[in-house]
Amino acid sequence: MRKLFNLALGIVTSIGGFVEVGSISTSVQAGAEFGFSLLWAVAAATIFLTTLAEMAGRVAAVSKRSMAAAVRERFGFHFQVVPLGAEFIIDTLLLTAELGGAAIAVKMLTGIGFQWWVFPLGVVAWLVLWFGNFTVIEDGVGLLGIVTLSFVVAAWRLHPDVGPIARGFVPSIPHHDLTRYAFLVVSIVGATVSPYLLNFYASGAIQEKWTQQDLWINRLTAWCGMGFGSVVAMGCLVTAAIVFGPQHLKVDTYEQAAQMFVPVYGRWAVTLFALSLGIGCFGAAVEIALNAGYVLGQAFGWTWGIDKKRRDVSRFVTAFSVVLLLGAGIATIGLDPLRVTLISVALTVVIMPLVVLPFLVLMNEEEYVGTHTSGPLGNALLATLTLLGALMALVVIPLEIFGG
Amino acid sequence: MDVVRDVLDQSVIDRNGREMGRVDGILIEQQPNQPVHLTAVLIGPAALGDRLHPAVGRAVRRIEKSFGVDENRPARVAFADIDEIETKIRLRLTISETAVAAVEQRLRSWLLRLPGSR
Repeated sequence: MRKLFNLALGIVTSIGGFVEVGSISTSVQAGAEFGFSLLWAVAAATIFLTTLAEMAGRVAAVSKRSMAAAVRERFGFHFQVVPLGAEFIIDTLLLTAELGGAAIAVKMLTGIGFQWWVFPLGVVAWLVLWFGNFTVIEDGVGLLGIVTLSFVVAAWRLHPDVGPIARGFVPSIPHHDLTRYAFLVVSIVGATVSPYLLNFYASGAIQEKWTQQDLWINRLTAWCGMGFGSVVAMGCLVTAAIVFGPQHLKVDTYEQAAQMFVPVYGRWAVTLFALSLGIGCFGAAVEIALNAGYVLGQAFGWTWGIDKKRRDVSRFVTAFSVVLLLGAGIATIGLDPLRVTLISVALTVVIMPLVVLPFLVLMNEEEYVGTHTSGPLGNALLATLTLLGALMALVVIPLEIFGG
Repeated sequence: MDVVRDVLDQSVIDRNGREMGRVDGILIEQQPNQPVHLTAVLIGPAALGDRLHPAVGRAVRRIEKSFGVDENRPARVAFADIDEIETKIRLRLTISETAVAAVEQRLRSWLLRLPGSR
């Protein structure tokens, strides 16, 4: 019974935790500029994410190691320093973007400039980590995130035609702006398959003491939680497509994006959008900072865990505090959060092979997954997709930045 | 035993099962006409830095020195003090008997000053 409850909680919190600054901004832009035709990218990215998360959970349940620990032990520090450094930079950028997104949400609610909110929000995030425990952070954040279902409700209430939506799940070549289309595909993949999510998921599994008997829980939590979670991102894309699509609008700010709720929620539109954006981003900021503590703790072999007494895990606490300070500091400079988001999610795809390929090696070794190895076909497919994605990102990012 | 595969980069726990860190470096010794002999393992970011580049190691030592936690670091644990080498490396010592504890104690003393510390 308790297992079933935990399973349900795990799924609900994954849905609530799915949407954050990256998925909202890429979905809104994709919908506004290309209608439903990028829905396939959201679906494909979700399958990619779920496959990797299930693998990360499997390694955690069988070997009691997270990705960061397993990669250090299997490949050594010389290898790990490269992906670790790249991930650290991207996660800090993403943390900056999440705090910026949350600050813009507060600005929408209060009318006071967003730069004023970044640092206070960073402090609140730190207080949550300082005083909170695993249940408060992991489940509380996910449950609050249920407000993001307002994207799905909005899409539903706009009564979209089923035909065009179904066609959106079939990959197609657009008639205009091919570069922009490709850039958005890359961004959607990067926003969905965030490395921090994978390690965060595995660290949760370790703290909940999953064993080989829990592999079915892992499979269900990953597929149902993240699968339904992606429905929220799709709801966002569909709403943006219906509201902004006919005007061929390019959405450059979150304030503009909030207008997509007006036809459905009327005078509550901005409030509801701000709450969805704010809670989604704030939750992600807490998770990214916490994950930085996890990754550093695991890579360097410190005692770590959010349920432990803070005095017993002082290196871990210091790590997440410093990362949070760094993210809030950069965000306070006043970089455009939307731009930081798009750049960091696109860069994520560039570093993806560094994260995924070593992981695929581990998935075939008895020491890490016992008899539960992955099949060669799936491995080859994942490796090919990862490399293709990185190549595509390397081509389209410069085109997007310098061409536009 | 393959020292690089089974010892280097593996997790180190103390006598009480507390995670101390990882084997960041190893010290080996060779006498003439004798096989190579593992004398000690090193734990600490300076040893890790040395592995990347001596300049990185020096930079880490400077940082540790500026916080006054550079004494006897990186921590050197004699091979005789290793109890067993399984998936983790268990020592016969406790963490406070090694120089690993210095950074942790310094950070803890700061954290304990914060409100709501536990």
